[in-house]
Amino acid sequence: MKIENYGVVLTRLTEEKIELVRNWRNDPKISQYMEFKEYITPEMQINWFRRIDNENNFYFIIEFEKKEIGLINVRDIDYNEKVGEGGIFIYDDDCLNSDLSFRVGVLLNDFCFETLKLEKLKAHILNNNKRAIQFNKMFGYKIVDGQDDVNNQLYYLLRSDYIEKKERIIRLF
Amino acid sequence: MELEKFVANFAAQFDETDASIFTAETKFRDVEEWSSILALSLIAMVDEEYDVKLKGDDIRNSQTVNDLYEIVKSRK
Repeated sequence: MKIENYGVVLTRLTEEKIELVRNWRNDPKISQYMEFKEYITPEMQINWFRRIDNENNFYFIIEFEKKEIGLINVRDIDYNEKVGEGGIFIYDDDCLNSDLSFRVGVLLNDFCFETLKLEKLKAHILNNNKRAIQFNKMFGYKIVDGQDDVNNQLYYLLRSDYIEKKERIIRLF
Repeated sequence: MELEKFVANFAAQFDETDASIFTAETKFRDVEEWSSILALSLIAMVDEEYDVKLKGDDIRNSQTVNDLYEIVKSRK
């Protein structure tokens, strides 16, 4: 399964790519921003993949100019409640902190709201990850009240908020 | 189009970084505050102030503020 727009391609994660993702994920430059920071073994990775390789989880390898640069996902989808949880990391330093993150974000959000027909996305963000907080707020994510002392904070994005923000973002691409 | 004004406009996109650190030779990606949001803010600023479409590729292929200035100037 492939999704393509805004100059980027999302290819659904297959078993042959999980070692690539494991190597990215174990790099401290990525793991420092993850709630689970322990070293991931090949066995843990295959067990994880078997748990997420279904219609309630969509993990995509991000490709830009035929180069694999990171991972983006919507997971734990509840089709009754029309909600899922988003996540992204860009591994490639040349592509980090550029407009690519926004191109990829719009592509995944469109997939969630238009293809999967979700009404709401959630995200957990460590409260020291200022870039991720700002990034998600640009898309319209709002923090859930009463989490001042929470380390891994919960944010929600409503479809209506996203549609409003999306127009302002994509005109800059 | 003046380089000095461009550097000032560039520096104004940053909230937490002292504007005085920015010069034409500043390697902007090395500035701690640099982020994808600032990349997008920069594209918006150049569009508004200079009526020039700066692309993500332009930013990725630039090292210094002056590199960006030269791109914008060439499209005026």
